[in-house]
This record gives sequence, C-alpha cells and structure tokens, in this order.
Amino acid sequence: MSTVLLEEEMTDTPAAPARLLSAGPAAPGQEAAWEQFTKIPLPTRTDERWRFANVKDLDLSPYLQPQPVDETTREELLARSRGLEKAAGRMVFANDQLLSREVLSESLTRLGVVWLPLEQALVEYPDLLQQYFMREEAILGGQKFAALHASQVRTGMLLFVPRGIEIDLPVEAFHWLHGANSSCFPHTLIIAEERAKVTVVDYYESADTNAPGLACAVNDLWLGAGAQVTYVCAQNWSREALAFQINATVVGRDAQARSLFAQLGGRHVRSESVSHLRGPGGRSDMLALTVADNAQEVDARTFQIHEAPNTSSDLLYKNSLDDAARTIFSGLIRVDPGAQMTDAYQKVRNLLLSDDAEANSAPGLEIEADNVRCTHGATSGQIEQEELFYLMSRGISKRAAQKLIVNGFLQEVIERLDQPEIGARLAEMVQAKFAAHR
Amino acid sequence: MSSLKIQDLHVRIGEKEIIRGLTLEIPKGEVHAIMGPNGSGKSTLSKAIGGHPDYTITSGDVLLDGVSILGMEPDERARQGLFLAFQYPMEIPGVSNANFLRAALNSRQSEGEEIEAVDFYEHLYEEMDKLEMRREFTSRAVNEGFSGGEKKRNEILQMAMLKPKYAILDETDSGLDIDALKIVSAGVNAQRGPNIGCLVITHYQRLLDYIVPDVVHVMVDGRIVRNGPKELALELEEKGYDFIKDALAEPVSA
Amino acid sequence: MPTEELNQFDIDRTRGDFRYDVQYQYDAGTGLTHQTIDYIVDAKGEPDWIRDWRHKALDVFLSKPMPTHWASKDLENIVFDNIRYYLAGGQKPSRSWEDVPEDMKRTFERLGIPEQERKFLAGVEAQFDSEAVYSNIKKAVGEQGVIFVGSTDGLKNHPEIFRKWFGKVIPTGDNKFSALNSAVFSGGSFIYVPPGVKVKHPLQAYFRINAENFGQFERTLIIADEGSEVMYMEGCTAPKFETATLHSAVVELVALKGAKIQYVTVQNWSPNVFNLVTKRAIAHEEAEVKWIDCNIGSRLTMKYPGVVLKGRKARGEVISIALANDGQHQDTGAKMIHAADETTSNIVSKSISIGKGRATYRGLVHVPKHLKGCKNNTECDALLINSTARTDTYPAITVRGTGNACQHEASVSQISAEQIFYMQQRGLTEAQAMSLSVNGFVNDLVRQFPMEYSVELKRLIDLEMEGSVG
Repeated sequence: MSTVLLEEEMTDTPAAPARLLSAGPAAPGQEAAWEQFTKIPLPTRTDERWRFANVKDLDLSPYLQPQPVDETTREELLARSRGLEKAAGRMVFANDQLLSREVLSESLTRLGVVWLPLEQALVEYPDLLQQYFMREEAILGGQKFAALHASQVRTGMLLFVPRGIEIDLPVEAFHWLHGANSSCFPHTLIIAEERAKVTVVDYYESADTNAPGLACAVNDLWLGAGAQVTYVCAQNWSREALAFQINATVVGRDAQARSLFAQLGGRHVRSESVSHLRGPGGRSDMLALTVADNAQEVDARTFQIHEAPNTSSDLLYKNSLDDAARTIFSGLIRVDPGAQMTDAYQKVRNLLLSDDAEANSAPGLEIEADNVRCTHGATSGQIEQEELFYLMSRGISKRAAQKLIVNGFLQEVIERLDQPEIGARLAEMVQAKFAAHR
Repeated sequence: MSSLKIQDLHVRIGEKEIIRGLTLEIPKGEVHAIMGPNGSGKSTLSKAIGGHPDYTITSGDVLLDGVSILGMEPDERARQGLFLAFQYPMEIPGVSNANFLRAALNSRQSEGEEIEAVDFYEHLYEEMDKLEMRREFTSRAVNEGFSGGEKKRNEILQMAMLKPKYAILDETDSGLDIDALKIVSAGVNAQRGPNIGCLVITHYQRLLDYIVPDVVHVMVDGRIVRNGPKELALELEEKGYDFIKDALAEPVSA
Repeated sequence: MPTEELNQFDIDRTRGDFRYDVQYQYDAGTGLTHQTIDYIVDAKGEPDWIRDWRHKALDVFLSKPMPTHWASKDLENIVFDNIRYYLAGGQKPSRSWEDVPEDMKRTFERLGIPEQERKFLAGVEAQFDSEAVYSNIKKAVGEQGVIFVGSTDGLKNHPEIFRKWFGKVIPTGDNKFSALNSAVFSGGSFIYVPPGVKVKHPLQAYFRINAENFGQFERTLIIADEGSEVMYMEGCTAPKFETATLHSAVVELVALKGAKIQYVTVQNWSPNVFNLVTKRAIAHEEAEVKWIDCNIGSRLTMKYPGVVLKGRKARGEVISIALANDGQHQDTGAKMIHAADETTSNIVSKSISIGKGRATYRGLVHVPKHLKGCKNNTECDALLINSTARTDTYPAITVRGTGNACQHEASVSQISAEQIFYMQQRGLTEAQAMSLSVNGFVNDLVRQFPMEYSVELKRLIDLEMEGSVG
C-alpha cells in the first residue's frame, strides 16, 4: 500500500478524478451545501416547476470533479478565448481554474472597483461575499443544483462597482469545460452600487464540442439605487453537455437591469432567471434567444417579481427549434400586494422549423395589486410559406432563405440589448451554430 | 343667486397648493373664459369643482345657485347641474355611447322612472346631427378608439343631452384642427342662452374667436390676476403671458 | 323590458337562499365506503354492471391523492366523511308538474322552473339533491326521437347508447373528483339526438342543493349523432349553509360527424360550495362543440371544460366569464386537445376579481406532431377591482411540428379612478359606474349567451357589484 502511495506522490500524473457524486464538498466551509445537495431529491415529473421537462435526463452519476488543465491546453484555450474587440477586462477559466486575468481599460482600476477571482475575493473582501454571495434562494425548482453549485464552486468572477462609477467597456469572462465527463461550476457575482454602471459578458464554451460534461452555473446581479447593469451570457457548451444556470437579479430603486441569455449549446439546458424588482422605479429587461436543433432540450423558467410600486419588467424570449429539439418556457409575473403602478410584460415566441420539434409555453401571471398593467403573450408558429416564397423568388435557396428568416426572428432580441458590438458577436455565434448544423 | 360662485378657493394635490385663493362668479346666461399659461392651475380648478378625489379643497367654497356643492359626491354635483367637458375624456371599454348617455339621463329621473327609448333616440339623433356625428357612433364604446376631435365632439354631445346649468369646458380646443374647432364651437354656441352659464378654460385665444366670451379672466399661479372684456384675450395673444406676469403686482378678484 | 320577463331566469342568490325541510325516503348517511355504493345502487335499482363500475371507481378515488401540488390547498378542507352522498325522496321523475311532491314543487316554483318551460324550452329536467324530480320534454321533440331523461333512466332504459359512450370521454381515473363522481353519481341528464335532428329550442336542466353537508354528483352525457344540433343549458343554486357543501359533476359530450353541441352553464352557488366539475367533449369530423360558462359564487370552483378534437376540421370553443367576490376562488379555464388535422380551437376567458376574491385561469392547449393546419387562439383578460383582489393566469401550450399555429394573449387591467370620476361627473353613482364598467368588460362575451341568460347575467353582475363599492 505504501509503495503505491509513494509512486503516486513521486510521479507527476494526478490521481484519477473523483466521481462528483462521491466527491463531497470542494473545500471546508462547503459541507453544509453538500449536505443540502445530497438531501434534496432529484426533481420528478409531478413537480410543477419541472412540468414538461425530461427529468430522466438529469442523472449526475457520470460526471467527474474538474481537473486542472495542462500547459498546452491552457495555451490553446487562451488562444480560443476570443472576446470583444474592446473590453475593459477579461478573465479566462478552464475547469474552474483561473487561466488569466487581464485589465484592458483603466476604468477597471478606478478607485474602489473590485474585480477579482472569487477565491481571492474571499480572502480580501469576506464582507462583500458574506453580504451577497448566493443570498437569493433558487425558487424555480433548481435548489438541488444551486446547492451542488455552492458545494463545488472554486472560482468565478466578483465585480464590485462602487457608487457613481461607470465602467466604459464590457467586462468579460470565459469559462471552459475540458475533458470527457468533466464538470465545472462558473460563478459570476456583480454588485453595482448607487448610480454605478457596467456591462458584463460571460462566455460558456467546451474545448471539445462533442464531449459529455456537466456545467452548473450561478450568476447573480445586485443593483443599488439608479445603477445600470447589462449582463449577457452566451452559452455554447458542447452538444453533449448537461447544463444548469441559475440567475437572480435584484433591482433597487430606479435601477435598470438588462440580461440576455443566448442558448446555443448543451444537450439538456435548464435556465432559471428571477428578477426581484425591489425598489420603486426599478426596471428589468429579461431577454433570451435559443437556437435548438438535433435532440436539444432547452428549459427556461423565469420569474418577474414586483415587490415595490412603480416598477417595470419586460421579458422577451425567442426560440428557434429545428430537428427534434424541445423548448420549454415557463414564466411567471407576480405583482405583490401594494406594488401598484406596475408595468409587466412577458412575451415568448416559438418558431418551429421541423415536424419533430416541440415548443412548450406556460406564461403565467399572479397579480395581487389592482393598479397595474400586465400582459403576456405566447405564440408558436412556423415560417410563413408566402415569406419563404418571396425570398426564393428572388433567387435565394430555400435553406438560405430559412436562415435569413430565423436570423431576422432572433434579431429583435439582440437589438433590444442595445449594444451593437455584443450584438454582432452574438449574431456571429448564431451563424456559427447554423453553419455547423447538419 | 343664479350663478356658479367660487369664493377664495384653495386647492391642494398632495402637499402642493395649486389653487391659492381664487374667486370668480359666472352668472347664468354668461360665458366666461379663463386664460392662463401652462401650470397656472386651470385644469386643477375644473377637477376640483367637479369633486375629483385627488384634489383637496383646504378652504373656500363653491356655490351653485347659492348652494355649496363641496360636500357632495361628484355624481351629486353633476345632478345638481354641473358639467365638465374633460380635456382628456376617458375611454370606457365595452360600454356603448347610447347606453352610457341613457344611464346618465336615467340617473336624473326620479326613482323608478326611466327615459322612453324612442324619445331618447329621437333627441340623441337630433343633437348628433348638429355636431355632424354619424349614427353608428351610438353603438361604439365611449371614446374608445376615438380621434381627439371625436372625443371633444362627444363631450359637447353629452353636454347637449344632459342640459347642465353650468358647464366648465377644459381646454376643449386642445388637439382640434380648425374644422373640428368650428363644429365644436358651433355646438357650444347653440347651447348658449339665459339658462346656462359657461366657463371656458383655454391656453390659446383662438377658441375665443369662435366662442366669444362676455368676460375674460387671466389666471397665473392659482389666482385670478386680471379681469376684462373679450378684448383682453387679444391683448394676451399679442403680448404673451409674460406681460401679465411682469406687470403682476397684487392679485385682484373678479 | 317588463320585469316579469327579467325574473324568468332569476337565479340570484337572494332568491335561491331558502330551503324546506324535506322528508327523504333514502339517505345514504354520512361518509363514503363500499357499503354506501351498494346502498345507492340498491336504492336506485341499478343493474350489476354499474355496481361493479362504481366499486372500482371508489377504489380509484381512495387511491388518488388530492391535486394540491398545483391546485388550491383549500381542497384539503373538504371532509369527505362528513358529506352525505345520496339523498332522495324515492319517487320516479314526474312527467307532469302536478305530480311533483308539494315541498319540492314549492322550491322549484320559487325558482321559476315550470314557467320557463312553458315559455320556450324544449325540455326541462329539474334535480333536487340527488335525484331528478321533474322531467319533461316537449312532445314535438320527443317525436323526433330525441331522448332527454335523467342519467339513471338513461342507463336503465337506453343501455345500447348509454354504455357505448359513458365514461369514454372522461375515464374514471381522469382525476380524483371524476373518480368520486363515477362512484356515487346520481341525477344529471342523458340526451341523445338522432342523426340530422336539429333541436330548435334549448334543453334545460336545473340543479339545486337543498340539504346541508350534502354532495351533489350529477352525471350528464350528451350524444349528438351525425349532423344533429342541440343546445343545453344548466343553472345551479344552493342556499347558504353553515358548513361546506360539495358539488362534483361530470359532463361528457360526444359530437359525431358534423354535429353541433352548445353547452351553456350559469352557476350561482352560495359561497360555501366546493364546485369541482369535470367537463369534456369529443368532437368528431367537422363537429363543433362550444362551452359557454359563467361562474359566479361558490367558495372554490375548479372547472376546465375541454374539447378533444378528434376528427378532421373539428372545432372547439370555450367562452367563459368568472366573477370572484370576497372569499371566493374561481379557478377555471379550458383544455383543447388537438388530435386531427385542420382542427381549430378558440378560448376566450374573462374574469373579474372583487374585494378579496381570486380568479385563476388555467389553460392547456396541446398540438401533437404530424398534425397539419391546426390553430388555437386564446385570450384571457382579467379585471381587478380593489387592491386586495387577486388574479392568476397559468396557460400551458405544447406545439409540435411546422403546420400549426397557436397564440395566447392575456392582460390584466383595472377600472381606473379617472374612469369612475368621469362617469360620476355625468351623474352616475359610483356603484352604477362600476357596474357599467364591469358589464362593458364582459359585454362581448355576454352577447354569446342566449338572450334570456344575458339579461340575467347583467343583473347578477349588478347584484355582485352592489356591495363592492366604498
């Protein structure tokens, strides 16, 4: 026995990665979350919050704890981390390990701005984490996966923008998943104080677009009075990945949050996004676009909670579905008693491109105040033959015409972001997905 | 006694005092105009007299033929003979103009009595013809999808049907083109006579070319600052409100 | 309009809020066991196949959990052991009004039943607690071969048609309450309209709960044979009791090729009735089924009329109005299951929540794959009166494939203070202004009700609005 140990210690090869389910917490201090994770059962079909979802797909047993990547892989992934032309700063992570952190604009070094990997922030700013780290409970059905994240998270991005500071260019983070059956737990925590302004883009990518893997991400946005935060998450995991992402956005008085989730990759993707309109005058724009093909399942759950009067929220989710893809949109608007003068909108549009595609929509309202304006709408349809014919009559092939129309369909979401550079990047990613489609 | 009399009226919205000691008397048979710059409190005056719950009258009185109406609900005031032509008439989805007017007229009947349908339509069509309104209008929902001009015409039609003792016309000219303005003015002029007193609230002199007032009052900062004959309106138009503001020394009362 | 005519369809609660002490010949007592089932079958003199069927249904009912994982927790307040499942006088339904026992006659006379029949209805079936006490069908309609009898009569005397369809549209195990109904059902209507027969006047049923702690479980089965047409109207009331009362009906409609069925309900239950009803139709090729549903009153109503669009070009429609006043929860909606090409469905739902009332819309639209040319349109509008009112909307829409289109729209609005002030300025009282606004909100739907019902509906709304101001 001792010889075996000795050999392992002496060689450079690491021990075989542990299975996630038998790994336990990532570090001391995460035991409670682990215990919670093991205690909560997997979702079942009868759970309303998992209605329509293929819950059989949620088996976590194949996945392994993340392993550090070697130097060659590091170089390769850094080279592949192509972000925006102009960014204020960029962090690159692979398998929950920080590969690089570059400050590109001096606005990131302004007085009081904290931009650190999570593990370093934990040492230098424990109070901030104490106050904000995963303080909003996952309430849309994903508690088990939130607990898993809390028990496994090793790194991520903390961005704290103090009062009145505006960061001119977007801040970016890349999260890479590397190796078959590997897992990763990306974390993004943005805290914008009074009148602070910032844009953050997360890119989720897999080194191998066909490798199975597990990603379980949390991104929380905190907006103080009058703050403006734009958050974009471009999800492009491998086509065999099981992915979760849990978002909470807390909007203070007169603050404006805008989030966009682009769902491109993954085999089974579950996205939960909650906006708490907590201060009067607050506004949250919740956007998403999905390009689903093959047997992809993209399951989006949203919640617009109007906790204060004079708040507004506007949600637009658009799904394009090809092959045997399935999408689920289940969203709820809740207007608490006393949250008068609320304006809340929710719109989901499904474009079905194949006879085997399936779109499920469950847009919901729960209104407990009377002086409100709330509407929601859901439509499911296909490309109009007339429209297609018109384009084809101009010499465009059917396939190209379809792509044009789908692009136009998704463009509305991208335009609502009102950030042309990021929009162009997203459009490019959508194009790449179309190009890869067999 | 036959007058609408406003005595030293003070009105607040929330904590803010908008009308600050306004006195005015409109005898029956006369048409008075109130002119004033934006924000002088003109619209507040009409809503407060009408009894809108958002407006608090802190002191003063409003007497309709000698009887104070301030303790009355808005509908009681209306049944006493007060009519407001709204600057922004409300849309009431699903409720037809005919049903609405009939309900309003029936509310003025004694308990258990109702207007006969035949008489009602006869009267309604007669008044609609004067305002050049089409018959299909009766089955449309109140003000829903109406153009600005149609809404104002509808206000004047309601006034004609309800035959008030005193009418307050709040910015009736706003949003009207010249043709609509002529029709609406003609509608008002047709109702002028010894049995009605009118208060025309406007920002522009243009309306007063068509509805010629007996007296013009100028309102600034919640008070009447000048009174005069109809020519005063022309002077205002020419010199602008600043001249009044500049010349303003002490408030006067009508 | 003369007042007499208005009262014709008077089912307002003040009128319904009375009851007589009635001597029941049959009373199954409180609680529900297999003995209760035997008691009911024996009392009704039913054949053995239905005895077995009921026993099996009871097992299903007992094994199924309450659907509280999605539905109101208030369901847990139903104490099944305190409910009486069968109460009847023991007489056969009378063909003539004169034969109806005096006390029951008084009840229905107060509710205006025979008058209505004389006026224009093709047939009337009146149910008092568990059993029909009066059933008549106009001679002309009977001569056309139309069968309009109680469910017991139907299963005993028309088994060849009855058994073919009974329990086929809504299987026993569809939900806990359909299982309960299947175990203890009594009363309700059985209607068969032969091919090509168009019943000119509506058939009407009237359901009344007279006894406290009583559960009413009527079962209605309507079969419209090829190319036929029928309209059925039901009205429901109960007096105010101290303790909760249960109404749990099952209604199955079958519209064969090219047939048309319209089913109109105006219910005005007293505020302690749990009203848990399963209603579903099958529409065959080119058939049309339209549910027109108005829900006023009750403590909790759960009702989602559905249409299974089984044949090509079948059409389904649900038009519903719900009014939830203080302490009431109207949990209503619609289900449209598209199962053939070119089927269309339309759902229009309007709800009004007043005071502490809560109105919920739940919808289900399902368009499976490889269907072509299916269309669904759903509109839900909610009106809130008073800041303590609540409204929820929970639609669920599944669409597969490229040949279909679904669209859902919902809005929530309120009657604004400015709107009320405007109307008051024209001389209307606040209550009148409210009533007029609410009637305006539902106006386009009310017009779809038969004339007599729409007049009554407006009156009911006025009545509900009276207490809501101030």
